[in-house]
Amino acid sequence: MKNRIVWRGLVAVGVCLPFVGAEHAAPLPFARQGPALTPHDSALHALNRLAYGPRPGDVPRVAAEGVMHWIDRQLSPDGIDDDRLAERERRFDILKYDRGDLAALYTEAQRERRERKLAAGQTADGSDSVVAQHAAPLPKQADPMIPKSNRLASQFADLAVVRATLSERQLYEVMVDFWTNHFNVYAAKGADRFLTPDYIEHTIRPRAMGKFEDLLIATAKSPAMLFYLDNWESVAPGSVPPTGLHVRARPIFGRRPGLFGPVRDPARQDSVRRRALERVPKGINENYARELLELHTLGVDGGYTQQDVIDVARIFTGWSIERPQQGGDFEFHDWAHDRGEKLVLGVWFEGGHDMDEGIRLLKLLANHPATMHHLSRKLCQRFVNDEPPDGCVDDAVAAWKRSSGDMHEVLRAIFHGPDFWAAANVRTKVKTPLEFVVSATRAVAAEPDTSHRLAQVVARLGEPLFLHVAPDGYPEREAAWVNSGALLDRMNAAVALASGKLPGVTVVLDSIVSAGDADQLIGMINEKILSGTMSENTKQVLRRELAGISDLTQARALAVGLAIGGPEFQRQ
Amino acid sequence: MKSGGLALFSLGLDPLFLARAAFAVRPSAGPSDRRMLVCLFQRGAVDGLNMIVPHGDPIYYQERPRIAVPEKDVLDLDGYFGLHPRLAALKPLWEAKTLAAIHAIGSPDATRSHFDAQDYMESGTPGVKATPDGWLNRYCQHDREHQDTPFRAVAFGPQLPRILAGTAPSLAIDDLQAFGLRAPQPAARDRLTRAFEELYAGSATGLLSTSSREAFDAVQMLKRLDPGEYRPANGAEYPRGRLGKALLEIAQLIKADIGLQVAFADVTGWDTHVNQGATEGQLAGRLSELGDALAAFTRDVGERMRDVVVLTMSEFGRTIRENGSSGTDHGHATAMLVLGGPVNGGRVLGKWPGLDPAQRFEARDVAVTTDFRDLFAELLARHLGARDLSAVFPGFVADSQRFPGAIRG
Repeated sequence: MKNRIVWRGLVAVGVCLPFVGAEHAAPLPFARQGPALTPHDSALHALNRLAYGPRPGDVPRVAAEGVMHWIDRQLSPDGIDDDRLAERERRFDILKYDRGDLAALYTEAQRERRERKLAAGQTADGSDSVVAQHAAPLPKQADPMIPKSNRLASQFADLAVVRATLSERQLYEVMVDFWTNHFNVYAAKGADRFLTPDYIEHTIRPRAMGKFEDLLIATAKSPAMLFYLDNWESVAPGSVPPTGLHVRARPIFGRRPGLFGPVRDPARQDSVRRRALERVPKGINENYARELLELHTLGVDGGYTQQDVIDVARIFTGWSIERPQQGGDFEFHDWAHDRGEKLVLGVWFEGGHDMDEGIRLLKLLANHPATMHHLSRKLCQRFVNDEPPDGCVDDAVAAWKRSSGDMHEVLRAIFHGPDFWAAANVRTKVKTPLEFVVSATRAVAAEPDTSHRLAQVVARLGEPLFLHVAPDGYPEREAAWVNSGALLDRMNAAVALASGKLPGVTVVLDSIVSAGDADQLIGMINEKILSGTMSENTKQVLRRELAGISDLTQARALAVGLAIGGPEFQRQ
Repeated sequence: MKSGGLALFSLGLDPLFLARAAFAVRPSAGPSDRRMLVCLFQRGAVDGLNMIVPHGDPIYYQERPRIAVPEKDVLDLDGYFGLHPRLAALKPLWEAKTLAAIHAIGSPDATRSHFDAQDYMESGTPGVKATPDGWLNRYCQHDREHQDTPFRAVAFGPQLPRILAGTAPSLAIDDLQAFGLRAPQPAARDRLTRAFEELYAGSATGLLSTSSREAFDAVQMLKRLDPGEYRPANGAEYPRGRLGKALLEIAQLIKADIGLQVAFADVTGWDTHVNQGATEGQLAGRLSELGDALAAFTRDVGERMRDVVVLTMSEFGRTIRENGSSGTDHGHATAMLVLGGPVNGGRVLGKWPGLDPAQRFEARDVAVTTDFRDLFAELLARHLGARDLSAVFPGFVADSQRFPGAIRG
């Protein structure tokens, strides 16, 4: 019963039929409208949506394997061998450090930076102004969104791009990206500079294909989220830390030189102490409570009130971090917890149950119908259509109920549903910047190295990874990504990639597009890079542009650049 | 005015370029193509109470023991309200009566969700999520008097904001210098540009098609500008960062006379839940950048400010009472700024509801007494000369009686 496929047929709507084995012969599931896709087209569709696009040869491979069989394998990533990625991951130093190490490294880097600044004296005004920046030639591929202090985050961003590009567990990497945005943290906010890598590695990644409830609880307890949405310093009004004047002198990262370095001046020490005292939390902070309801679970129309937000915040008082500036772990402070009773969504939470109240609330939220609907909708938006079809959402919700929110089952329901395969939903979604860059890299079988060039391209196209400041994560809809400037940037990135001018990526077009005349070249690019989606117009334009270019390398780079920067490749 | 003039000197500004006389020059025959509106969105909900401080109200100080701006630091405006000290760069504009604030402004919708509230403020239809386009775009759709050029409506940033989404052409420019295709030689660049233009013209559909067409039209026009060569006028120095860069590029387009009418940029970092600070600190830093950037912009644009209005907006305000972590949580009404030659400046507009608990919205936040659409409608009608406001704000009856009076009559 390995490869058991369950789907819902046109004839037997709502009835689950087991389909055993024989995946090569498996009929493609049944569009609600239009003719069924060919094996080639369905393989391409699956590779566009469950993966970051096909590499040369992937489409025929998946079509030969049987697309439903391939999807089933993707749903069980643990069974997929991923040695090549594992070998590549070993080159990323950042994976060798834990939260504490990263915190110490960061503190050290801050100290060095300060000392350098002191040694250099004040920066000259002119060199600091925008005019000076503006007049200077543009640094090649430099990204203004990533200041130097975020180097750790940017190495981590490159790891994300490398994983998305190279991993055989493509659906798993797509889900990691989905959850990274759903449970967004901003890696340039204070301690999140060094808490984020651990958050992605140990909170998100291990649970990306598991039960939603487990992931929700893990994020609620993660230092990165507690810090990002300020819950770590939400306390019951009037609560006092047990050790009397145990003042947490929290550094404002990068802003308060006195707090890391040695402090000798007594007046200064006084002012540091006074400032620290001013910073002692004195009451609740609603930030996490609101986003938990609005974004993480119920959705903005999930039927909660301002009073619900307040009582959720009260339930989470005391959910905190042990020494965040040192990369500490989750810690529950019973002294900070509000012991009164709370009422959330009409459910009473008797006081005095400490952390259990929060766990009980998270379980309640994870299994609330509004949450199932909200999350199912987002998943259908990601995998099927920017405007998720009702049928897809219904299928996902039904699977969620059956499986208590097991992502394997919810995703399986989406991929086996008729909406996923409907012609109206094929090649309708526009790629996000991450999807565009990764799919382009895969399309030309390029090898990203460990420098963060590719992540910088993604950032330049508008999606600096882990640096979305608001808790809603990067958007999924095309309107957020398609605009005049962004399209020109995509064209530039495509040309640079094809001509091997993106440092950090090795492109060897020889293996994909060999010698030949213009028509042969165009044919090969259509087959191997655009998977047969090239329009007649594109062929004509390419033919004309290639006329008169005798140098094969030049012609090939131009044609590949135009193909990847052109309209066909923007869609998935 | 006298002290204002002195203040200008002491800041090293040339009082002439700010003089009302220069701003007062208006086109003789009705609203012209030269009128421009620059919108800045303070994403994250700015704390209006620490931006335009009601320092004359003791409740303000009672409710914010750790984060109120001390009386001695507030830059008094009218005896009751004052500017945050780090907005000092804007004080000369106030003195010159080209800066006004509108307090207690916001949405008739009660949401405290950033995303819904931003959505409503950009769609211009509070409470209605299904509106497909933004109000600035709808203005461009319905006001055909202005000649359409590729640069009529421009957003500065990597994404086209909701407020400019819609069927009227609008550009998103993240970096004016880098806008266009890059190639070593001009001939190669032109060839590449033409090839991509034809690829998109021939096979793109939907948003890919319209956006690419707008992009190539703009690239054509930009050829005669040389963005890399731009130098701000009057010694204006923009602060570092995205806002300074965006305003510099807006000034550049204004002076290039390429048909800019509506410009938009985001300013982030206002969601001050924790340690927002008072005279110094987190919020002070953001305000300082805002004030310095606006002052530099005004100075750079110079005489042309007579045709320009800058509007700041934010999705809602923050709680009157500070929260448990020396910050503020999501509230309701906030304050907005308008500045420029046509502005009826030197006053805090709107009806102030007071901070008394009985007057608060849901017993905790500043109540909204001016619907944001009243201000936006006034700017469109009286500054840009819009005629059909019902198409711009569907379901809303614009009534000049309710306009807050931001534009001089």
